[in-house]
Parts: sequence; structure tokens; C-alpha cells
Amino acid sequence: MRIDSHVHVFTQASTEFPREVSKNRPAEREESAEKLLGLMDLYNVDRAVLVQTGGEELKHHAYLQHCLNAYPDHFYGIGLIPKEIASPEEHMDRLAANGRILGFRLRHVGGPSDPFAQVDVRQLETYRIWQHAANKDYVLWLYICAADTHLVPYLVEAFPQVRVVFNHLMVCPGTETFYWDNDGRPQVDTSTGFPASHYSLLGLREYDNVCVHLSGQYAVSKEKWPYRDLIGIHERFLSKTFGANRLMWATDFPWITENPGYKKMTLVIDELLPGLTENERNAIMGQTAERFLRLR
Amino acid sequence: MTPECRDQYTSEGYLVIENAVTDDQLTHLQKAFDEGAQAGKAEWLAGIAAGKAAPGFYDVPDPMSRDDIFIELADHPSYYEILMDLTESQLNYLGISARLLPPSPVSYTGWHPDDLHSGPPMLLKVQIYVDDVDSREGAFAFVPGSHRPESGPYPYVARLESMPGHKVILGKAGTAIVFDAFGWHTAWSNRTTKPRKSLILTYEKRDEPKMSPFADIADKLGTPERRRLFLWEN
Repeated sequence: MRIDSHVHVFTQASTEFPREVSKNRPAEREESAEKLLGLMDLYNVDRAVLVQTGGEELKHHAYLQHCLNAYPDHFYGIGLIPKEIASPEEHMDRLAANGRILGFRLRHVGGPSDPFAQVDVRQLETYRIWQHAANKDYVLWLYICAADTHLVPYLVEAFPQVRVVFNHLMVCPGTETFYWDNDGRPQVDTSTGFPASHYSLLGLREYDNVCVHLSGQYAVSKEKWPYRDLIGIHERFLSKTFGANRLMWATDFPWITENPGYKKMTLVIDELLPGLTENERNAIMGQTAERFLRLR
Repeated sequence: MTPECRDQYTSEGYLVIENAVTDDQLTHLQKAFDEGAQAGKAEWLAGIAAGKAAPGFYDVPDPMSRDDIFIELADHPSYYEILMDLTESQLNYLGISARLLPPSPVSYTGWHPDDLHSGPPMLLKVQIYVDDVDSREGAFAFVPGSHRPESGPYPYVARLESMPGHKVILGKAGTAIVFDAFGWHTAWSNRTTKPRKSLILTYEKRDEPKMSPFADIADKLGTPERRRLFLWEN
């Protein structure tokens, strides 16, 4: 089974499907589940994990919930949580009530920005989210801002039962390194050899509850597809740190639809890791996600 | 260098020199280290938020321009003769890192050799503990014998403590560890509430002529021997 483990879908903003609009997600733009399904069918991808975009409030998840209900054999969901919310627990439970939302994506941890400061995990802004994820077995999907990178290991240590998936090569975007390119794609200007976040996060390989997305290559690479300047990062993930059973392939649709195109993103792992065994390839292309996310 | 020291270095790839830096010089080093760290910290924190600096460790920026102690340590008598002996007096100095490791549940680096025998003919480092370092304070660790080309292979273990045959080297402030950087080494995680402070000096055995990278401190390299070490004279 091939699983595209991190994609986004959205439709035109409407009263039925309200969402936030932005330069790259104008109200009239539509990147629908049906468009994604068409590409998945064309390139033999069986399932996908839809990651909420276009707003964090409950109402903003309407289209995501619609897609999960309409195509239960193909899609699973990851929700968002508003930063300022009185009861994140209630928000998480309401979104996950139908069983198709597996977990929640976090962009910040909330705590001292100085790595030398003492850290009390119970004082971190997202502590209750992690605690609730532990209680309810929700997955946490991490695309953490650079300033909070050093805080994540404390929470992983405190909650070894919480399944954690680091998005997009474990790169953490900073205030001066994240931007959108002329193709409407998010970009992160970081080292293609050893991103700054890896010094704080690669040590998490010792925790079995941590996996990493091999995705977002287009956002980090300084080269065109197949992004060969990222071979070293991929080899390090495969052979020196996490291994194929803790790595998940994803395309990050729709940002890659035009450049380099969905087909090329289904081939990127073989391009960057040409020596994979069949078992390793199967793991990265779907089995790790199926097992770790407990997809049924 | 005594025959015993040479034998240990040849077989194990490292030497521990206790009290390499002592007394007033150690006090001076600690003060200069802290002042340098404080001076550059705001820029480092801004770099982390920007996504440009690594939060996993902090190197005092340009230490040799801040205080001469960071120059004088390059040919410190506690280990200079050993380095010259090991390199048959063909010693090049490559630089110094004044490094602080923040507390963290995980180490900023895994087990690794600095070079897989494909670079210079010999790569040596001297790690100097600026404060006392015990087992919970980000201690340096080494796999004895792993510097030898015929040794290994060594596994990329998930947990640092799973590396077969490793040795964690604890020490008082002023302890120096001379090691072959082709050997497998790492830093333990720092599980205390204070930074681990150390200096990492890097040397190679002279291979072919190269330009000195130390243009900004050329006027501070007083003796011909030091100028040779810093690549200003052949």
C-alpha cells in the first residue's frame, strides 16, 4: 500500500466551507479532494493524510471533515488547534469524534526561547495538548518554529506514549528563513547539508514514538527536482538515525502540483535513495505510515 | 611524550591530561570564556529565532579576537610537545571552538568520526573542559581503538550508551583530552541546569602548503614557531 502521508486540500471559500484566505490561498482557489484522488489514482497511491489548512477554528475544518466522510477508504485527517483557546482538549475531542482525524498539527511549543533557560514542561503553553494527546492516543504532527526547536525533546521525553511525526525533513522554519516562491510554494532557506534544527532533534532517534516525513524537499533544496543536494540528509535519516521503519514519504500536495508535479514527487525517494531495498522502499512509501498511524 | 603515552595513543586513540590548564590561567580562561559567551549571546538567540543558528550548541564568536588566552592555548606546553611528537613536528593549527552545550534530554550529536580516513593524513583535536564535567554534564566520549583504519565497522546506535566499548571521559576544569578525530566520538547529553563549557582545538599533520585562515590575528603570533603553527611561515 502506498500512502501519501502529508497533503492539503481546500475548496473555494464559502459559507458551507469557510476558510481563511491568503495570497497563496485566495478565496476562489480550489485544490479539491477529487483533484488529489485523480492524481493518486494515476500514480498508484492508495491513501493520503489530509492536513488541515486555511484556519484553526472548528468551522474551518468543515471541508476536511467533508472529505473524510466522503472518502473514508482513502483519507485520514490531521487537525489544527487555535493558539489562544480556553479548552484545547474539547476542541481536539470534537474534531476527532468521528474517528477519522488521527491527531493535530503544532507549529509552536510555547516556552523560554533561550536554550539555556530551565524548562518545566508543565509550564509550556502546549503541555495540555501533549497531555491530552497522551490520554486520547492522538498523534502530534510537528512543524515547529525554529525558536521552539529545543523545547520539543523535553515533551517527547515527558510523553513517550505520544506518537510524534516531524514534518518535512525535521526542518524548523525561522522568522527570516520562511517565504513563498514565485511558484506559490513555501520555502525554507536552511542548510541543505545539516539544517540547524537537526542538532536539537536528531537525538530523538532514541525514542521509538518519533517518526519523520521525507517530504518538502522542494522547500529546502537549492536545486531543481530531484533535489540531489538533499541526498546526504536522506541517507542520514535512513542509515544513521531513524531508519526506514520510522520514515514516511509525502508529496505536500498541492504546493507541488505545478513544480515539480505529483508524478515526480512519487519518484523522489527512489531518486534520493537509489540503494533502498524493497522492504525499505515499501516502509517509506506506506508501511511505516500504516503501522505508526494505525490506519485501518 | 613518554613511551607509555605514545603506546596508549597508538592503541586507543586518545590521551587524558589532567590539570592541563590550572591556577590563574584557568581562572582567566573561565572569565574570558564567560565574557565572550555573554557578548555574543543576543546575536545567537536572534539567529535561532530567524532559523539561521542551531539551538543545540553555542560557539562563542571569534574567541581569538576577544582574548589572547584563546591564542595561547594553541601551543600550550601541557600538550604541545605531544602534538608535535604525534605529527613528527609537522603540525598545523586549524582553529578553536569555545562551545557551550545547553541542557537537553538529547545530545546535539551522535557517534561519529570527523573524517573517514579520506581527508588529511592525520586529524587531531584537543578538548579542554572549562568547568568540571561529570556524567550528566555533556561529557566527551570516545570509542578506544576506533581511530585505527582496520577497526570497526561501528554501528549508528539510537542510544549513545549502546555503542560497544565506549568510554565516557569525565574531568575537572582544566582537563585536556587529546584525541584522534578519525576515531568515533560524541558528546553526552547535558542533563543538568547549567551549560557544559569546553574548548575544541583542531590540528592536522602538515600535508601540503595552504593559506593561513588567521589573518585577523597575525600581529599576535609572536614567535616564529607559533607563526608556523598558525600557517604564517613555512
